[in-house]
Amino acid sequence: MSSRSVIHTAMLIVAVCVLIAGCSRPVVRSDGQQPGMPGFRGPHLGGQVSEREIEALQANLKPIYFDYDQFTLSLESQQTLQANAEILKRANVAVVAEGHCDERGTAEYNLALGDRRARSAVEYLAGAGVQPDRLSTVSYGSELPVDPSHNEAAWSKNRRVHLRVAR
Amino acid sequence: MKTSINGPRTVRDRRPTRRMSRSGLILICAILASTILCSPGESKLVLDVDNPNLTKMPIAVADFVGEGGPLNGRTLADIIKRDLYLTGLFQIVDVSRSGQHNEPDFESWSQSGAQAVITGAFQVTGDELVFEARLYDAALKKQEMAKRFTGRIADHRRMIHRFADRVMEKLTGTEGCFSGKIAFAGEGPKELYFMDFDGQNPFQLTRNGSINLSPDWSPDCRSIVFTSYLNGKPDVWVLDLSNLRQFPISARAGLNASARYSPDGQAIALSMSFKGIPKIFIITTQGNIINKLTNGRGNDISPTWSPDGSTIAFVSDQAGTPQIYTIPALGGEPRRLTSNSNYNTDPDWSSKGNLICFTARIDGRFQICTIRPDGSDFRVLTSKGANHDPAWSPDGRMIAFTSDRDGRKLIYIMDARGQIQEPVSRIAGKGAAWSRNFR
Repeated sequence: MSSRSVIHTAMLIVAVCVLIAGCSRPVVRSDGQQPGMPGFRGPHLGGQVSEREIEALQANLKPIYFDYDQFTLSLESQQTLQANAEILKRANVAVVAEGHCDERGTAEYNLALGDRRARSAVEYLAGAGVQPDRLSTVSYGSELPVDPSHNEAAWSKNRRVHLRVAR
Repeated sequence: MKTSINGPRTVRDRRPTRRMSRSGLILICAILASTILCSPGESKLVLDVDNPNLTKMPIAVADFVGEGGPLNGRTLADIIKRDLYLTGLFQIVDVSRSGQHNEPDFESWSQSGAQAVITGAFQVTGDELVFEARLYDAALKKQEMAKRFTGRIADHRRMIHRFADRVMEKLTGTEGCFSGKIAFAGEGPKELYFMDFDGQNPFQLTRNGSINLSPDWSPDCRSIVFTSYLNGKPDVWVLDLSNLRQFPISARAGLNASARYSPDGQAIALSMSFKGIPKIFIITTQGNIINKLTNGRGNDISPTWSPDGSTIAFVSDQAGTPQIYTIPALGGEPRRLTSNSNYNTDPDWSSKGNLICFTARIDGRFQICTIRPDGSDFRVLTSKGANHDPAWSPDGRMIAFTSDRDGRKLIYIMDARGQIQEPVSRIAGKGAAWSRNFR
């Protein structure tokens, strides 16, 4: 075959190899952002809502809190979720419910408990009229406390579900 | 004085070398027969590890004879002593006169109270280390085993651990676990690491800048399955140890976590919540679902396989609080195993099959416990600090776990009865997983 088509074939092979290598390289988080913490943006999903609207929405969504070892919603949590639902019904965004536990307990069961807490929140929001396909859950177990102190004041802040607006 | 290294030699017999007459032969057979028939019972060097009244075997490890390079005979002997000490089965005895490596000093050894004695000799040439080590029965004045190892100086710990594994095999019938690695999840940064079982040679496995949890070794030690938030949510990934590449095998919606290889390495049990709430599933090593194992309204997580692969123990809070249940791996009804407290998690099933270790919250504090798969013989092994995430060694003799008793959450190891408990990791970590011996 001609030398030009040989070169083109070689370039195609190189391009494919570069693409494959790129796909298998793990994502390295170098921007200091931590999931579950204020300001975390998460992967960019593309959407039609402006960044300013998203930030305003995020500021208005309030976290809910749980009793030790529990995933049921207290009356106060239900009221908070009701207010969050009203905000979300008026906005065309997806939301991720991030479930957390305090540091006590064991790591894997805390993943399950955090997941269940997030699901409790999401089920309530769906019941309050938010479209279910805009809702998803992520559990962080006890891996990301907002307060790393070892006392009940910190623990009660860490037993939470945080609603993150997905981009 | 350098000892020359010959091949392993057995103690020379003292049989006469002239040709024997027939009557002489008959006489010798008769003597042998009467010795065997009248022998005073068990005199071989054997540790009955399942004996509840086991007393520790007094064993001595003489300083290795030899010189060269950065090694010295005391250091090499100390590695063996520490390995054996940590099993809780041995009392390490000093021998005042070690004797030459190929001239055992049985008299002096008996006086020191040692029942077994290990001697060794080594030689360093450039980058290469050769050593020979022997195990003697001090009472019977008999050599039980001789092994010879060749390798690089940098690998001397691994070579010595392999000899210690052989010593365990000789004395108990089961190979030791000193050549295994412990993988764990670091606490800051939350990357995966592994280290020798005794904490030496730590190595960082992942550098993905994310949260990485719950490593588990494939039986062939070629892969580690783990949970990672690389893609912003808890998914199950596999790390290929030959090149440290990571790829996801279960990224379903919701939670994908606590993955454990089956004993034959062909399947993985894990917890997934994509159908609503966390349930135990069995998947292939590619991530395709084989079976949904659990049902009901509980949150189910932390599966562990019985060594024959027939049964899975797991955690469920279907009764209101997290407890350990067992269920046939092919499906069936779950059977509750624990009831000692209102918080029992982290089960790990010993490869010997007869014990499950787990974390229990007792009087508000977390302890490592063991229980038989039929629910009997519940024991508490720890008492200081907060202890969790236990993992059996592959020979079922030791347990790695996390404890914060000294301030930081370090990986500790202890023998199966909890008598000796010592920290091994240099950095904070959890989720220890103990591999089979690296070859």
